[in-house]
Amino acid sequence: MKESVLKRMKDLPSSHLLGAGTPMCAGCGGLEALHEIYDQVGAKSVFVNAAGCMTLLATYPFTPFRGSWLYTAMASAPAGAQGVRDALDILIDSGRLPPDEDLATVVLTGDGAAYGMGLSATSGAIERGLDFLYICYDNEGYANTGQQASAATPHGAQTSTTTLGYAGYKKDLFGIWAAHRPTYVATVIGAEPLDLARKVQKAMSLAGPRLILALAPCPTGWDFDPQYTADVGRLAVQTGIWPLKEYVGGEVVHTKAPKQRLPVEEYLRLQGRYAHLFEAGGQAGLIDEIQARVDAYWDGVER
Amino acid sequence: MYRIRFHGRGGQGMKTASRILGSAFFRAGYEVQDAPRYGAERRGAPIFAYVRAAREPINERGVIAEPDLVIVADESLVGIAAAGVCQGLSERSVLLINSHEDVATWTHRLNLAGPVLVLPAREAVADRAELPFAGTACAGAAAVLVGVIPRDGLEAAVREELGSLPQQVIDQNVAVALHAYDEMRDHAGLVREAPTRSAKDYEPPAWLEPVFEDARHSAPAIHAAATSVQVRTGLWRTLRPVIDYDRCNKCWWVCSTFCPDSCISVTDDGVPEIDYDHCKGCMICVAKCPPHAIGAIPETDARDAALTGEPS
Repeated sequence: MKESVLKRMKDLPSSHLLGAGTPMCAGCGGLEALHEIYDQVGAKSVFVNAAGCMTLLATYPFTPFRGSWLYTAMASAPAGAQGVRDALDILIDSGRLPPDEDLATVVLTGDGAAYGMGLSATSGAIERGLDFLYICYDNEGYANTGQQASAATPHGAQTSTTTLGYAGYKKDLFGIWAAHRPTYVATVIGAEPLDLARKVQKAMSLAGPRLILALAPCPTGWDFDPQYTADVGRLAVQTGIWPLKEYVGGEVVHTKAPKQRLPVEEYLRLQGRYAHLFEAGGQAGLIDEIQARVDAYWDGVER
Repeated sequence: MYRIRFHGRGGQGMKTASRILGSAFFRAGYEVQDAPRYGAERRGAPIFAYVRAAREPINERGVIAEPDLVIVADESLVGIAAAGVCQGLSERSVLLINSHEDVATWTHRLNLAGPVLVLPAREAVADRAELPFAGTACAGAAAVLVGVIPRDGLEAAVREELGSLPQQVIDQNVAVALHAYDEMRDHAGLVREAPTRSAKDYEPPAWLEPVFEDARHSAPAIHAAATSVQVRTGLWRTLRPVIDYDRCNKCWWVCSTFCPDSCISVTDDGVPEIDYDHCKGCMICVAKCPPHAIGAIPETDARDAALTGEPS
């Protein structure tokens, strides 16, 4: 495995591959992550995109990608990727495509597909050892249709289907992937671009099933001013709510673990979806519960 | 049948305005159709919503091509052709603009055959995507202009449509709607119903109907890279980020990396440049620039400065 050549911020690219003019919301945290990821993935790639916000990236006849893009139904992007990978392999094996014209097979979905509807197809693809990179932009709800709750919605967050706060708990997709023992799993966030770029570079240097799971602060669905997308993202890391970590070779390593975690309140307070936690006579106990769960997670890491 | 269009930007409450007006019509005994219309666009992008109301069942569908009343929540949209504010206006269509400028200015500027009215804008806001209560004010004004909706019917409709919001916010919205209703009372009933047309008389709008082709030709394949740059998402912007190059410390990466839309590129000398054709005005660069070298100015000021030739 190639170690990253990205030592410092100045090693990040200063011009960007992903085209402007997409219909994503102003301040989209998913697009912030994707444009950083795309600089590392490059144009020699096929993006297999399940239904979600980013379906709108390539609205005919416009696309921000410099390589290929294929659209699938919500649950079937990994199956689409299998077909693309197989077709490329057959073309190369039969001498119809020179090996140096091979393309990276990339799945791009939101959390609705990654944590929920597409999980079965994903599990099958990992089991078959499919050589692909899965990118999930996790905006913690069905944001494209108005932020209905998904299996990635965190406990207590208001969504349009859980106006009193989501009663369930966010699924641990990192853990679900790692339990399949794939090649590589990593969490990233657009607000930590160097950590993100290193992880994507590492993933691109490996073969087999690989996941880049990006938390995607969503001004529209989480209800905050779009200028704070990067600040909300940074606070997710600094409060310990979004642990940056990677799984490789059977080991989980935390990158950028916060030395002194900020109180979760600082992250929650910026977002309208948690406003009910801060109202007088509201569900203040929930803040303590969220804090306790974060503390318990990190106690487990530090032990 | 009344045919009414609301024009605004994503986030200004045009959908809510159409729902409030629709509910108010319904309470007054009308059959109602109301719907927002937007494509893949998001907050800040020009959108519209429309309402049909009639005493008989409504068989018309789709966008309103010949409106009886057009209400513009955001005056900055009038000059944007793609927003389609003036589309289908005739001598009998009423145009109401929420504006700081007066009727004489707009009448002169637009030179329309039909009446032009101004709903005095409440307060100046820098970010026009956040016009406070613009939607409710527009619904209130529309309610009085059609002349068949009583004041208490409007209030009940606002309370019904905003029912899930905190009481204080609902009360504020009711006050704004009723204020607009009273403010436009001199023009009560100015908007006239146009006759309901039968399906026999349907005339297709003047767009091109694509002809079905062989799938090999008509499959939507795109054969060029990054064609999205042809979409001018800069139209969404209500605030403009402006770099003060004296303060920029040429850090190389911050604004350019955090911009979700790849709208900031850095020259070989480390100088960032903003692509205003595509910048949506999210202001992440303003929030993240370490030496605070990027400021925000209202987009309307930037356009005015460009028109008068003053440096922005």
